[in-house]
Formats: sequence, structure tokens, C-alpha cells
Amino acid sequence: MSETPRFSRVLIANRGEIALRIQRACRQLGLETVAVYSEADADSRHVQEADVALCIGPAAAARSYLDADGLLLAARLTGAQAIHPGYGFLSENADFADAVEAAGLTFIGPTGASIRMMGDKITAKRAMRDAGVPCVPGSDGPLPADMHAVKTIALQVGFPVIVKASGGGGGRGMRVVEREADLAQAVALTAKEAQQAFGNPTLYLERFMQKPRHVEIQVLCDTHGTALWLGARDCSLQRRHQKVLEEASAPGIAPQTIAEIGERCAEACRRIGYRGAGTFEFLYEDGVFAFIEMNTRVQVEHPITEETTGIDIVAGQLRIAQGEPLGVAQADIPLLGHSIECRLNAEDPFTFMPSPGTITRWDLPGGPGIRVDTHVVAGYTVQPYYDSLIGKIISHGATRAEAIARMQVALAEMKVEGVSTNIALHRDLLADPDFRRGGVDIHYLERWLAQRTAP
Amino acid sequence: MNNRSEQLVPHFDRLPEPDQITQMATWLAQAGLDSLELTNEAAGLKLRIRVGQADTGLPAAQAAAPQAHAGAGHVAVRTPYFGHLCLTHPLRDAPFAPVGTKVAQGDVVALLTLDSLQVPVTAPAAGTVVDVVGQPGALVGYGATVMHIQPD
Repeated sequence: MSETPRFSRVLIANRGEIALRIQRACRQLGLETVAVYSEADADSRHVQEADVALCIGPAAAARSYLDADGLLLAARLTGAQAIHPGYGFLSENADFADAVEAAGLTFIGPTGASIRMMGDKITAKRAMRDAGVPCVPGSDGPLPADMHAVKTIALQVGFPVIVKASGGGGGRGMRVVEREADLAQAVALTAKEAQQAFGNPTLYLERFMQKPRHVEIQVLCDTHGTALWLGARDCSLQRRHQKVLEEASAPGIAPQTIAEIGERCAEACRRIGYRGAGTFEFLYEDGVFAFIEMNTRVQVEHPITEETTGIDIVAGQLRIAQGEPLGVAQADIPLLGHSIECRLNAEDPFTFMPSPGTITRWDLPGGPGIRVDTHVVAGYTVQPYYDSLIGKIISHGATRAEAIARMQVALAEMKVEGVSTNIALHRDLLADPDFRRGGVDIHYLERWLAQRTAP
Repeated sequence: MNNRSEQLVPHFDRLPEPDQITQMATWLAQAGLDSLELTNEAAGLKLRIRVGQADTGLPAAQAAAPQAHAGAGHVAVRTPYFGHLCLTHPLRDAPFAPVGTKVAQGDVVALLTLDSLQVPVTAPAAGTVVDVVGQPGALVGYGATVMHIQPD
């Protein structure tokens, strides 16, 4: 790079494995790091490796990792010129992003305006629809009073549809309609209920996706007009909306289909002037993609995309924030083989209750195609104050079968003592015939768990 | 500043800002006084500013305080925030609480400076300062030990 870099010292406003991941990228680019940490994380690996380490508050996140004013003060006191928010905490807080830039520092992420736009589901969906990103097919507004017009809309959208109250939410004020014959009665009933419950009879309808998969597209955009899509991830294995195991690419979806949706995402980024890394999340069913939301930050599961594209996403974020061009064209991005990530949580494998405590044994797997992203070492104490993620095992293989086989060996090698983990759950999932076939839906894991615990 | 302080003293319904406390401490020092205590029982507020004149004897009340229990452990004075450690009052040369100082619970024994902000570090217990471990000017984190007190 010929110009003077915008920053040479980065404050990492996060903890755990992602703080270490960001620190590695910084160090590889010759950037100094500032670790700010809560009292509970004083022994964390990235704290020890940092050029400057500063305890900024007690364990409670509100007074440490979520303390925006404190983080800005810490940046000034430590001479950091840029802040990387990681994921969670303040990473999708538009006001924080604005405050960082207002303080004359670089926010390693999109602008506050982009975060704000994507944080509001209605504006996000409108922007995506305008940019040609497919959303759930629906009425695109309030249903007309004329039932014939409603039927026309429903037939265009395609049954089954879900009729929803504009004022509803949280699962209330909605009704699934399987057949055209039931539509009129369902609309009348839902309108009446909506009037009673929300004081507003306005309804809209959408295609009801019964067994969708969660498929997402990673994007990376510089400030010189280049927006790249980096393939798809399938994150359908979820429990209570928490992803458990992710894979790239999405099994059974044609590369051409992913390329088309990926290009639409990239185009949407160009239109809204998006900067940095981001993820477009979709529901996918019967060949239909429906935009759910965009995450304006690096994701937990970003390594599987790094494995299949060879692109270091976190280093990319840093370079983009420096104002550098990406220097890669879409045509240069390969989608090589298949990658799987298993999230390791310190939790009871049956009740899923967090299992904090001191890790007495921590034997990591290795070998070709195996990567482990973790902040944990033997003797590390898992704190009860934060999420229970203790690491991620990422496997890569030429084929999905090879990635699964490598992951199975890795899970067998991984030995953890002192806390309970979900390793056994991953082992069982990888052996499950439906998973091995590929393409299970977002409800699959919960059903599978219910059957497992049934007598 | 004068207007603000005139309002502040008669209407003690909230704790003053750090810069106001700094100003009040300066006035105390200039007047040769070593402490000021404001109490508003209705509001549950109590402010005690002690400036510890270098050549003044211990206040009578503290001199009469009960002696420390034999064998009692030292109490660490820990920072309530992060910042640059200031062991000396910024307006005077005298340290807040050098070794041997008698302090009351809540006495300001150091300051943390963050740009224009000043955050007081207070004694968690009444007693005598037995050692000062914090380095003046150092950037210290939250919860760092800056000195130890032998409790009364």
C-alpha cells in the first residue's frame, strides 16, 4: 500500500475466540492490538498476547463489553485508532459505529447508516426488494377489502399462505391457509381477531414456508465499488435459533443458483454503498429464496467460507477499513470443496444448561483439513457471565463426505475434561442418516432432539 | 463556578461533579482547612472532602478512632474504573495519601484521569495506608490495586 495507513493500532472490543481471531489477523497485517477485557477475562489468551491490555470493567457485560463510552475512552487512552467490534455485543449497534467515527476513529465495519437500515426489518426488506434480492413472496402491503382481489394475490403468491396482522407479532395474529377454499373464512377471522387484539384489522399475506432451510450468503465489500459474494453457508441445524453446526456450501443447491442469488446480494451492497463483511440470511424451500435479514458484521461461522474460498475474511475487514481495494475479482474466487463447522459449547449435552468451570484437559484434534478456532487452553475457566462457546472445529475436504469424515475423526480426538460439552451431540449428528443425506430443514434438530429424549 | 458553588452548598440534593469537588478542595486548601463534610439525611447524601494539609496534625475525630485489630489483614484500595493513576492532587504537590496517612472510609486517596475526566479512588475502609503499589501516571485498569490499608 502506498498511502499512509489510517490506523496502526486496533482496539478489539470483544472477548473469547473472536477476539483472538481478530488479533491474529491484526498481527499478520503488522497491526498492534489493544485488548480491553472484563475482570472475568483477565487470563484470556488474547489479553496476554496484546500489545496493550486494559481491564475496563467488571464481569457484567453492561459495564465492560457493552459500555460504549468506556470503550471510546479506552481507545483514546491506549492510542488505538480503530475499533473492531467482533460479533455480538456492540457489533450491530449503529449509534456505537457513529460514535466511533465521530471520535475520529475507524469503525471496522459498515457505516452506522447501513447498520441502522438493516437493523429495521421493514426498511431492510424494502431496500432488498428494491435491489432485486428475493424476499418471501407476499402481498407487499395491506390486503384489499375485496375478497376476489385477495384470492388473486394468494394464487400469485402460491399456497400455503400465512395471513398475518400488521399489528401482530410474537406468533399472535396469524393463520396458515392451505387451500384457496379456506381463504375467505381465514381472512375474515384473522381480521376480526386482529381488530380485537391489536385494534387494527389490517392484514397482509405471505407464502408460508413449512420446512425451510437456512441458507446465507457471505459478502465482502470495499470502498472502491467492489462487492464480492463468497458462496453460501447452510446453517439449518439450529436449536432455539442458535446455530449448532454449519456447512459450506449448501448441499443439493446448484452452484448456478447460488451464483445468481450471490450476485443479487453483491448488487444490493453496491446499491446501498455497503462496506465491509456482511451476511444475507435466507429461508430456502423448493427452490425459493426468501430474504430474512442481513447481519452487518463478521459471523461465528465465517471460517467455513474462508476454507472454501481461501479468503481471510477478518483480514479483509481490516484492509477495507484501511481504505484498500479488495484487489480480487468475483471470477478469481474459487469455491473449493466442502467445509463444516461444529460449535463447541460448554453445556450439558442433554439439558443444554451452561456448564461453567475449569477445563482440566484440552486435547485438540489436528491433521489435514482440520482447523480449531478457540481461546481456550488447559486450565482455562469457562465463565458463567457470557455465552458458552468455547471453540469451533472446522473441517475441510474435497467433498462433503471427506469433510464429514475428517470432522468425525477430529471430534473423536478432541478431549475435554472439567466441563461438559456438546461434542457427543455433534458426533451423533454427523452419524445421522438424514444429515448425511444433506439438506435438512431448520426444524430438524429440534425434532431430532425431541425424539432422542423420548422414552 | 462561583454561582454554581453558591447553589451547590445550600441545596445539597445531589453529589457535585468531580470538577466541583476539585474546586471545593482547592478552596479548602487555600483557606487552611483540612476537611469539609456535607450531609443531607433526607436525601441520604453525605460528602466528605478531606485535603490533608501537609503540616497539619490528624483530625481529632480520627485520632480518637479505635485502634486496628492486631493481626487484621490489609485491605486493598482498588480502582473503580480505568485511567491514568494520579497519586498527587493535581493542584498541589502533596500526595493524597502517602504511606502512614490515616484515612476514613470513602476518603479520596487517588484520582484516575481520563482526558478531562477525573474519577476519585476512595478508601474502602478506615485505617492507615501501609503501602502504595500504583505507579503515578501509569495506565491502570478497572479493579487494579493501588495501595493497601491497615484497617482501624
